[in-house]
Amino acid sequence: MTGIKIHPASYRDPAGFVFTVDGVVYRQVNQSYARQYEQLINFGLYKKLTHESLLISHTEVDGPAQSSDHHLTLLPVQLTRINYPGEWCPEQLKAAALLTLRIQQLAMDHGMTLKDATPFNIQFDKGRAIFIDTLSFDLYDPGRPWIAYRQFCECFLFPLYIHRYAQTGTAPIASAWPEGIPANLTARLLPFKSRWNAGAWLHVFLQNQISARQSTTAERIHSFSPTKLTRLVGHLQSIISRMNTAPKKPSAWSNYYNETSLGQPYLEAKEQLFRQYLHQVRFTDALDLGCNDGRFAKILAETGVSVIAVDSDWSCIDSLYNQHLPNILPLCIDLTNPTPASGFANAERSSFTDRAASGMVTALALVHHLALRNNIPLPLIAAYFSRLTNQFLIIEFIPLSDEKAIELIARKETTTVGYDPEHFESAFNRHFRTERRELITGTDRILYLLKKNDRT
Amino acid sequence: MTTLFLYIDPGSTSYLIQVIIAAILGGAFWIKKFWRKIKSFFTRGKKET
Repeated sequence: MTGIKIHPASYRDPAGFVFTVDGVVYRQVNQSYARQYEQLINFGLYKKLTHESLLISHTEVDGPAQSSDHHLTLLPVQLTRINYPGEWCPEQLKAAALLTLRIQQLAMDHGMTLKDATPFNIQFDKGRAIFIDTLSFDLYDPGRPWIAYRQFCECFLFPLYIHRYAQTGTAPIASAWPEGIPANLTARLLPFKSRWNAGAWLHVFLQNQISARQSTTAERIHSFSPTKLTRLVGHLQSIISRMNTAPKKPSAWSNYYNETSLGQPYLEAKEQLFRQYLHQVRFTDALDLGCNDGRFAKILAETGVSVIAVDSDWSCIDSLYNQHLPNILPLCIDLTNPTPASGFANAERSSFTDRAASGMVTALALVHHLALRNNIPLPLIAAYFSRLTNQFLIIEFIPLSDEKAIELIARKETTTVGYDPEHFESAFNRHFRTERRELITGTDRILYLLKKNDRT
Repeated sequence: MTTLFLYIDPGSTSYLIQVIIAAILGGAFWIKKFWRKIKSFFTRGKKET
């Protein structure tokens, strides 16, 4: 068979692996995992988890066998918009943490346990977190603690605590420490007052102290009971669900649209024009760059397509995620530094640019930030946007005379030569053809509908 | 029991810390329960008066 490719990130777990055939994703179950798999399926756990939409469902197929210890081939429901913890807002990491704990609870009720607790086991799809690693379940030995406890703390709990006290968002921590941030580092990063927080004291500071003392001694098996483990998981659930991830003060962007002196009439005029442009063209998926409160991402979603809505501000993504909109996948992406390809050999996780390309890309009230704040030349912006879109681009140009542009250059000794509609159009005309170009009523702002040239 | 080869390192002290945390949580659980009993004893007394 042609086109078989083992997923480059699927090498850790000896229970099986993920592979693709002509773009369709399959999962092989190895013989060594046969007993665990039968337990998952035959004792009601799989049914319970998929019924509650906690675990991705699959069908067993007579698919391609990949190796001699092949037991079964699974065809899971196919996900189209892959996303990573380094792109999630704090509320998404929190939801993924609570999903992991809920699954661990249900697994224990069915004589199983999660053998790992990495956020890479989870994807956001249709506005919710869903567990995708069907082979993460092991048989539960009632006398043992949770093998994935430390990994859970390092990947979920510690980034959430750092965010709670430092308001960093969780994405930068998850990007920098994809395998989890250790307790000793977390303890150094948290402020002194966090020691008064019972959860932080137990799971961060106490854990750190014990680890420091015992790091060289060999692991002993300590007696444990299901009641103790239930209590531990319940405690983690309670501290995470009560953890406040909201910004302590409003971010620069959370009130962006309300603050503009152009106000409501401008927004309404822009929205009307935007809807007209959308009616004119057909596309199957969309990407909203600099989505802010998601007003325009929601209009895109009304057309029935799936929308990735990105913003560099985690609080904007938090509030958009909390609406659980089935067609919108909100992600924390800084366009001046989008997610790179990463993992071993740069092959485990693909770059944002490779994953996000869509039929319609929208960039409203964004280009002046990239050009004036970040000094990115218009030709480079045009070239990047032409990589992100497969067909169309709706883009707003905000001239230097505009209050928001004046704000950006007020304290900056920068050249603004080359930032005007003529240079903007000549930069974008190298990659696009202009379908519509209109002034937004009552402003100097221009809204364009561009179509990508067949060859750029 | 057959256990798969462990592919994550649980951490040399991860089990010990869970034993300690579970003991503390267990202690807290009993104190809470005891405290509730005392509280309900007094509040029940109040209602009756």
